[in-house]
Amino acid sequence: MLIETMGMELHPPTFPEAAMANFDFAYHVMWESVPMLMKGLRYTIIITAGGLFFGFILGVASGLMKLSRNPILPRIAGVYIESIRGTPLMVQVMFLYFGLPLLLGMRIPPLTASIIAIAVNAGAYIAEVVRGAVQSIEKGQVEAGRSIGLSRSQTMLYIIWPQAFRRMIPPLGNQFIISLKDTSLLVVIGMGELTRTGQEIIADNFRAFEVWLTVAIIYLAITRTLSYALSVLERRMSVSERS
Amino acid sequence: MIRMENVHKYFDDIEVLRGINLSIKPGEVVVIVGPSGSGKSTLLRCINRLEKITSGLIEVDGYDLNNKKTDINKVRTEATMVFQQFNLFPHMTVLGNVTLGPNKVRGLSKAKAEDLGRELLIKVGLADKTDVYPRQLSGGQQQRVAIARALALRPKVLLFDEPTSALDPELVGEVLEVMRKLAKEGMTMVVVTHEMGFAKEVADRCIFIDEGIIMEEASPIKFFDSPDHPRLRDFLGKVLEH
Repeated sequence: MLIETMGMELHPPTFPEAAMANFDFAYHVMWESVPMLMKGLRYTIIITAGGLFFGFILGVASGLMKLSRNPILPRIAGVYIESIRGTPLMVQVMFLYFGLPLLLGMRIPPLTASIIAIAVNAGAYIAEVVRGAVQSIEKGQVEAGRSIGLSRSQTMLYIIWPQAFRRMIPPLGNQFIISLKDTSLLVVIGMGELTRTGQEIIADNFRAFEVWLTVAIIYLAITRTLSYALSVLERRMSVSERS
Repeated sequence: MIRMENVHKYFDDIEVLRGINLSIKPGEVVVIVGPSGSGKSTLLRCINRLEKITSGLIEVDGYDLNNKKTDINKVRTEATMVFQQFNLFPHMTVLGNVTLGPNKVRGLSKAKAEDLGRELLIKVGLADKTDVYPRQLSGGQQQRVAIARALALRPKVLLFDEPTSALDPELVGEVLEVMRKLAKEGMTMVVVTHEMGFAKEVADRCIFIDEGIIMEEASPIKFFDSPDHPRLRDFLGKVLEH
């Protein structure tokens, strides 16, 4: 049943001939759709924030695993990173929501599934960001840390990580924005986030132009705010490295 | 203080150290010279195990570096390295660089570590630079901070790996001045350098390494004025020409 309704929604809705012929831009429709869209936006933000929070933890853990000298850990991390990066997010989402429950014998609630999907997906990309940033720190920094008697983990904590973290901010910001936009794919599991809410409004009023335009503007406003916040953070954190 | 017996070190198939025997007493200043690729930096890096030796014996302050039970972090606090490229921590202030070791490794309180740090920065002539970041300093100043950072652990030996090679010529003097002062205070120092003037004036003993072997080991007077080994004579001829 779910598949059926989904199929319908993914096709463009059919319009009455008249509506197509004399298109007039109904500005007020944009304003009227905002309150409902805000409810959807709430979910978009919850999913993005939750997904990125867990995705960051997952990414740092698997990025560090990939750098580990242990013979097995880098392989485990490698399998995770490569299988996520090598498959489409939409397939991952549908596998998680429609596929896995058959194995587990229980349905995962859409919000939980959404957060897990974004976390697992972003985690794989963040892992590579972490690995790259840590590896970009000069070898001399490790040697200097070790030669004043710091242990491997102390060197990581006090010397490598703070420097690597600064270098992570721009690519992390990039990933945050990608993940935010990726939440729109969650329409396929009927998650009532911003995009899905837009679809529902259009199903009622047939005003695709106005509503999608409004949806796009809301996404843009959020991503712009996010990039601005990140650029401020980046500037603040790099103060000490500038002379 | 340091004892090396029949030390061999391979990088893959290349034998970089070919049977080094060396012992250094407390308070001694030993200068190691040699052509590039001779193994002199490797020898120095083996002393605090930045490089592991392939075979032989190294003892530092009574610790056997090959023994798995040896706490290498402890050894490193007693034999601290000053690097050619300074390797200061760019995200920390000058004082932060100097206090990290005493605070996190030696377990001094933050306040005590800072007192010690300030005292050492006065010693290296950088009392007014405590709160700036390394990038705001000249190379010579950075290297002096690096020396203060190493001293902050109160080590028994300081290892210098070409400490002035990355500096502009006019900045070499200020770093050598600090090293001279440390030598006078009785610090045990092992110095790999190309500064022959410094070697002549400050060293208790000079060592010439070539092709992974100690070719000559002598007092500075003998070393520079009447070297035995033709390789050393040849080397000195080349470096002292200009």
